[in-house]
Amino acid sequence: MSTDYSVVGKRLAGVDEKDKVLGNIVFADDFVMPGMLHAKVFRATKASARLKKLDVGKARALPGVACVLTAADVPHNESVKNVVGQTTEVGLLEAKHQVLVRERVRYWGEPVALVAAETSKIAMAALKLIVAEYEDLPAVFDPLEALKPSAPKIHGNNNVIASWKLRKGDVAKGFAEADVIVENTYRTPRQEHAHLEPESGVAWVDDSGVVTVRYAAQVIEHYRDIATVLGLPESRVRVIGTLIGGGFGGKEDVTVEVFLALLAWKTGRPVKLTYTREEMGYGRHKRHPYVLKYRTGARKDGTLTAMEAEIVSDAGAYVYLSPWVLIYSTVHSTGPYLIPNVKVDARSVLTNNIMTSAFRGFGGMQTVVAYEAQMDELAARLGLDPLELRKKNFLKTGDVTASYQEITSEVRLEECARKALEALGEKAVASSPRRKVGRGLACCWQSYGRMTYLHDTANCWVNLEMDGSAVVRSGIPDLGGGQRESLRAIVAEVLGLQVQEVHVISTDSQVTPLAGTVTATRALYMSGNAAKLAAENVRRIVAEKAAEMLGVRPEVLEFRDKTVFSREDQGKKLALTDAIKQCLFQGKVPQSLDTFRAPFTEPITSDVIKDPVFPDFTFGAQAAEVEVDTETGEVKVLKWATAYDVGKAINLNRVEGQMEGGAAQGLGFGLMEDYLEKDGLPLTWNLHDYLIPTSRDVPDIKSIVIESESGKGPFGAKGIGEPSISAAGPAVANAVRDAIGVRVSHLPITPERVFFALQGREKA
Amino acid sequence: MAKTETYNIRLTVNDRPVSASIAAETTLLDFLREQGFIEVKRGCDKGDCGACTVILEGKAVLSCLTLALQADGCKVYTVKSLGTAENMHPLQKAFVGHEALQCGFCTPGMLLAAKALLDSNPHPTRGEIREAISGNLCRCTGYQKIVDAIEAVSKGAYR
Amino acid sequence: MGGFRFFRPASLAQLLERKRKEGRRARILDGGSNVLVYVKEGSLEGGTLVDVRKLKALKGIAVRNGQVEIGAGEVIADIIASPLIRRQARFFAEALQQFANPLVRNMATLAGNIADSSPIGDTIPPLLVLEAKVVAASSQARRVIPLAEFFTGPGSNVLKPAEVITRIRFPVPGKGRGIFLKFGLRHGTSCSVASVAVWVSTRGGRIEEARIALGGVAPTPLRARLTEEMLKGQNAEAGLVESIAARVVHEISPISDVRASAEYRRQVSGKLLAKALRHALGLEE
Repeated sequence: MSTDYSVVGKRLAGVDEKDKVLGNIVFADDFVMPGMLHAKVFRATKASARLKKLDVGKARALPGVACVLTAADVPHNESVKNVVGQTTEVGLLEAKHQVLVRERVRYWGEPVALVAAETSKIAMAALKLIVAEYEDLPAVFDPLEALKPSAPKIHGNNNVIASWKLRKGDVAKGFAEADVIVENTYRTPRQEHAHLEPESGVAWVDDSGVVTVRYAAQVIEHYRDIATVLGLPESRVRVIGTLIGGGFGGKEDVTVEVFLALLAWKTGRPVKLTYTREEMGYGRHKRHPYVLKYRTGARKDGTLTAMEAEIVSDAGAYVYLSPWVLIYSTVHSTGPYLIPNVKVDARSVLTNNIMTSAFRGFGGMQTVVAYEAQMDELAARLGLDPLELRKKNFLKTGDVTASYQEITSEVRLEECARKALEALGEKAVASSPRRKVGRGLACCWQSYGRMTYLHDTANCWVNLEMDGSAVVRSGIPDLGGGQRESLRAIVAEVLGLQVQEVHVISTDSQVTPLAGTVTATRALYMSGNAAKLAAENVRRIVAEKAAEMLGVRPEVLEFRDKTVFSREDQGKKLALTDAIKQCLFQGKVPQSLDTFRAPFTEPITSDVIKDPVFPDFTFGAQAAEVEVDTETGEVKVLKWATAYDVGKAINLNRVEGQMEGGAAQGLGFGLMEDYLEKDGLPLTWNLHDYLIPTSRDVPDIKSIVIESESGKGPFGAKGIGEPSISAAGPAVANAVRDAIGVRVSHLPITPERVFFALQGREKA
Repeated sequence: MAKTETYNIRLTVNDRPVSASIAAETTLLDFLREQGFIEVKRGCDKGDCGACTVILEGKAVLSCLTLALQADGCKVYTVKSLGTAENMHPLQKAFVGHEALQCGFCTPGMLLAAKALLDSNPHPTRGEIREAISGNLCRCTGYQKIVDAIEAVSKGAYR
Repeated sequence: MGGFRFFRPASLAQLLERKRKEGRRARILDGGSNVLVYVKEGSLEGGTLVDVRKLKALKGIAVRNGQVEIGAGEVIADIIASPLIRRQARFFAEALQQFANPLVRNMATLAGNIADSSPIGDTIPPLLVLEAKVVAASSQARRVIPLAEFFTGPGSNVLKPAEVITRIRFPVPGKGRGIFLKFGLRHGTSCSVASVAVWVSTRGGRIEEARIALGGVAPTPLRARLTEEMLKGQNAEAGLVESIAARVVHEISPISDVRASAEYRRQVSGKLLAKALRHALGLEE
């Protein structure tokens, strides 16, 4: 049983939820300013070309158009990022992204020009008046083709932009010791985030000349990118992050903010830009599709002896975060298993497809598809129960992984897997002789906290008001996962307040101390720890004064219900407000601005990863039961269970919410989601053709929250944002395999793929 | 560009009269948002996501695929008609109590679809609940707590 | 988008007069779920948007002279809920229940789905096996068009520019059973990869009559008349029914698209048909 707290761990609703059900939230597109212009982006309609001619004259002349910008109008058109930690094989990588196409077009939909006009309608009419002429250039769309020396080069002279390896033991020896070896190639889809709220924002230049962008941002630190592009000092750019209508990594890379800032700065007027749903399709990055070739060997009793993998990810037309995504893949590629001999070669390669970058799971997720399929195949070949086979190999606390990182927190995989399977209850009977029921289990590990060589920090400022209420200032964005509410609960817990007595101000780069991104499952770990640290320091200031007033040692004091009392003698107590008053009177302000630092390590300098990369890992499992119609290949998901050790749940409702949402998004990845392109041309750019699960596609989900309190986050918490999706697709893939006796290794598992698999052939 | 012909429209939104002069192709979604009813969300503008759901003449419909002029003289209700901070509708209380939302973007539409269901079928099965909200996409919650919340209200909770 | 006008006719005569003047440039909105998408995509450059939501002449669900008559302006949700349809054409109500999702069903009309003439219009296969006819009117004339003769290709039909669908009618179904199977890539709203509607009647364990319609496997939804003929008079038993159903492949010409390959559609059509026939004939699944 986990520790019982007053606020933390309860199912408490927050202030934000109430505003949301009342329809009171002003999302990015809901915001209007007087004199506001409307912006549109003119995009290339070629996958690989040279822009020969660009004529914006007619567009500029259209009445109602305030400005049209091309690459020539952008002060620093190249946004250059040195991607830290690149391998020596690839060389120091400067990931150059152009803000607007100057000459070279590398993907269909690449931004070429920006229009700002009095109305959306005029802006759209202006787009139609822009004339662009292209000269086709050679292109490559298959990442495996792009690896070849003869392939057209997207940037520079090498399409491979990242390469990482794992080397442990001797795989030849390991395979020789194996009684059974399973080899297979897996393919995962290009998944689109499909958050309900399109990318959107409004920018303006305020009275003091600060370029201000209010937009749906997962990373408010992008004010620095804006400053670089505009050639302004960083102190002259401000980002206000809105409450976001879903992100999942889709609002993590730069989206609308640079365009907005440019237009506001050039016109001197407020400007709004909201992507259409179609633009979200062809204008924004996706999840990397992967090709994973795995070879796994095990002894008769199920112990793994060796694992070898070749992994290739499609980085699309620009580098973005592909190298980092690949590091995650490489480190996680073994699965949460102790394998004595490991050889993994992973590469990320450019193509003229849409760029790929951050998406919940960030490279770790794709490898689960491979390693959990391998485990089930081994179990089948050895005649072992899938869970029993896994139990023989689960990592334990103190084990060292193939990337030479020691597991320091608890590993409750066996408990997660067992409880997930149990939660499925009795196996359903097929509804007809032509349908088959199957069950699948998938276990996973996924890091939380950013890669440690990035030296991650988070700041937070907490203060107590005279009436005992508290204010928390944190730069952390809120995507809907309740990041702000978690801070409220943590500070309330530490200071002995109700959640309603804690006010959170967040997500303003010039007003709230920067807390970093909502990515990498770091929000609770980093901003939560920062808030806890600051609240504890505030508590110390008040406790010192209260102790003096009560004549006791500060260590014996408890804070509860706005009262400070001695744990040893409940008669010694005083009102929190009295203690605060005395503090202020003596000039000891009950406030604290603190920085929480994650462990700092050195940059990775070799292509072989052999040092700790992450602060820690979350472990969990999901189980699914499906019914497959063997006549059509249709898969119906009957039951679902998800079980994760989250360390400590700050709010049980929210943790379950993440687990259920992750399960559904992973179910989509497993069964129906694939952003398709043909020769770089987008095919499924809207929600009509790109299918995500509806309420009829997702069954009732049982969430099992396990709390080892062994995490590095506040109160022993780990992270759940990304782990919650990672095992879902593999669970349903294993369930289908169990139902029909043959594996579909190319996700998503569409009815057509099942149909042809049943016929004995795999169709691409 | 040719001068756009405009038409007068007069309707009631949340029992309040609203009138304006608009272009023919203005959708009800465009109109409502321009008139300040920003609680009606634009998720896709093509009828695929349900975020723009409103109640029009007693039926839950997609405002992005309804011409504003088609609603001339009609009664339209948005999520703000359900309740206020002091007096929330049982469904709103249930969504909060069950945490049947995360980012909240689908929530206005989802609540109205739920209300439309309970108005016509006060005791739905879980399957009927799932069917009733199948036109409202949610990417955050996995629908579990949404179905739980609606079921709870149908069984008398939060009243 | 731009340059549109709006018109709400107060009577059928006004509607037809406007169509006479503007032909196809006067677009009837029906549910709006197709036309407005085209307006937003920019594939309709101007014209008149015609609202018939409240036009009484296009409303009404009745049975007259053994025919079920449904006004072109009736929304699908109301057709499904109609006690008359539930009593006299239960199969049709059940088929329509699978159309899209509740929000779209509150807006879309049969006439809209038919006029859109998509190969995957989901109201069409059920109407084809019900042997429905479309009543089309212009200011000059009125004609009755069998639905099976209505479609000429993907998105095109025999309606003249000045014509408007006013009514859909089909004979009250007699003794027999119908079923509509819609097959898409998810259980929620989805474009059909293929769909099958079947209406069968039996006598003494033999198939008296079989009507089969398929969607999504040819340029238009169609009746599989050859396969229907093969089933006539046969014993209603699963094996036989399945082998005949497989022959439907000769009557269809599916394409490959983002949703499925032609090969899959070819093979799965026979399976869907077999499934539908087994259901309708009360044979073991």
